[in-house]
Amino acid sequence: MRVLTMTWEYPPHIVGGLGRHVYNLSVHLASKGVDVSVLSFTDGTSSLWEVSEGVKVTRVNPYVMRYPDFVSWIQGLNMLMIERASLLGNFDLIHVHDWLTAYAGIALKHLRRCPLVATIHATELGRRKRLSNESEKHIHEVEWWLTYEAWKVICCSNYMRDEVQSNLGCPPDKISVIYNGYDPKMAPLNSSPCRRDGKTVIFVGRLVYEKGPHLLVEAANLLRERDLRFLIVGDGAMRPYLEGLAKRLKVSDRVEFLGHVDDDRLLSVYKEASVMVIPSLYEPFGIVALEAMSLGVPVVVSNTGGLDEIIRDGYEGLKFQSGSAESLAEAISRLLDDEKLRAIVVENAKARVKDFSWSKTTDETIKVYRRVLDEYGRGEWKPGVLWK
Amino acid sequence: MKPVLHLTWEYPPWRVGGLSDELKRTLPELASRVQTLLVVRGDKDETSEIDGMRLYKVSSSTRSCPHVLAYIHALNIDLVRGASAAIHDSRKVPIVHAHDWVSGLAGVYLKDIFRAPLLISVYSTELTRSKLLGSLLSMGIYDVERHCFDKADRLIVKEPGMREHLERQFGITPAKILEAGTADRLLEVYRVVST
Repeated sequence: MRVLTMTWEYPPHIVGGLGRHVYNLSVHLASKGVDVSVLSFTDGTSSLWEVSEGVKVTRVNPYVMRYPDFVSWIQGLNMLMIERASLLGNFDLIHVHDWLTAYAGIALKHLRRCPLVATIHATELGRRKRLSNESEKHIHEVEWWLTYEAWKVICCSNYMRDEVQSNLGCPPDKISVIYNGYDPKMAPLNSSPCRRDGKTVIFVGRLVYEKGPHLLVEAANLLRERDLRFLIVGDGAMRPYLEGLAKRLKVSDRVEFLGHVDDDRLLSVYKEASVMVIPSLYEPFGIVALEAMSLGVPVVVSNTGGLDEIIRDGYEGLKFQSGSAESLAEAISRLLDDEKLRAIVVENAKARVKDFSWSKTTDETIKVYRRVLDEYGRGEWKPGVLWK
Repeated sequence: MKPVLHLTWEYPPWRVGGLSDELKRTLPELASRVQTLLVVRGDKDETSEIDGMRLYKVSSSTRSCPHVLAYIHALNIDLVRGASAAIHDSRKVPIVHAHDWVSGLAGVYLKDIFRAPLLISVYSTELTRSKLLGSLLSMGIYDVERHCFDKADRLIVKEPGMREHLERQFGITPAKILEAGTADRLLEVYRVVST
């Protein structure tokens, strides 16, 4: 089986969960005998072609042209991907991830008469809650277009399945739910001793509104009577606002912004953490929760999206009312004050993460590929002309 | 001779500017002398006959676009849908003839995938329309035009002034630019690239 995967992020260029998903899926597909070619982005600092961990990676550099905005930058990237795909040989199936490579996937589907599979990791309407300008409306329409053109659509949680159904009008029988996995490479390092002092609360993620980092700063203010410190790992457009907010609330001395950190530093942060908070307002899945759970860090998560499916309140973690700093502060206190609860949560969480692995994600994805190829094989929609 | 597949964003009864009527003057005559396929933006996906040509209409898949460059990128994916259907259904790789930058990208994709000879007729450019590249949007359009012109096998112009403009402003070599204002002259060009 030959699969062409198109993604705007692939190591070393990683933005969020999409890149980690595509990387892990591609490597596992290759290890299970699938011939995987990944077509992705470079800014000129990574190679244009390489074989990495069994995956053939080809990259295009969109900075050869000028663009007025992000939408046309993405379209330029897709334009170059379509052209480069002509040099990559034959494929049985094309797999694209989100609207970011939809244009190329749809074009190649028709040019090669090859079935298209799409994974929707998140939607514009889900991220923004409303579509307030032409760019957001366009992205929303391209998401609709992608799910319309795709043979099958993969979502990472039941929450996302419902969203794709209701926001994009995608028929339910076209959607498969396949949970993300997590990277167990971090787990062996867990054997070294932790320095959990019962005072450190951490956040790991992009500093953007939908991840809700402002709620943690507000909770830090509500918990000012307690001797706590808050470590915020990650970067993003919201960082200056968050630093200003911490200053205004007079909690800058206890809220530390670490920025983007490498894996070694991230592990040391996990080892210091008494609680990890995931205060997302929008979270299709939440891979970071699995990482923390596998490392024995108790989690406090908002009752939204995929997090709501992964974690049962009081069993694998604590949940709080999404968007409420008061509810978050209360949950942090409850977990820190109750040692027995913490131990139960950590134990259950370690058992729960065993339900998630990239190998399992890959097996489920291969099943979708096989179903698509089987249906395609029995149909009449085939190329009349083969490309040369 | 190979069939010729035309790509355009307008053909009567659809009119955006002068291109629609310009094509109406030449394409029916060409179609009487060479097998002609026409892929054009329309109100729905439909295949029919028009003026002796096989017509592949494609509807726009998006309605909202932040600017014309974003619209053209999306439109060209729609044009690819129609052109791919035309090529796979006829089981022949045609000469691809795109009209202006608005359909040039689809032409480039067809050339790359099917190794089809690509002609682009240039009626105007961002520089002739805007006089200068005064915004990132204009620069982006110019870059797409330059990209399409570079990838085309031949550029077709009607007047010496446009030939000079393409040489001077886009650095196109003179041998790549052909002046062809009539159906007879276009047929000569098709014969050249067909071999």
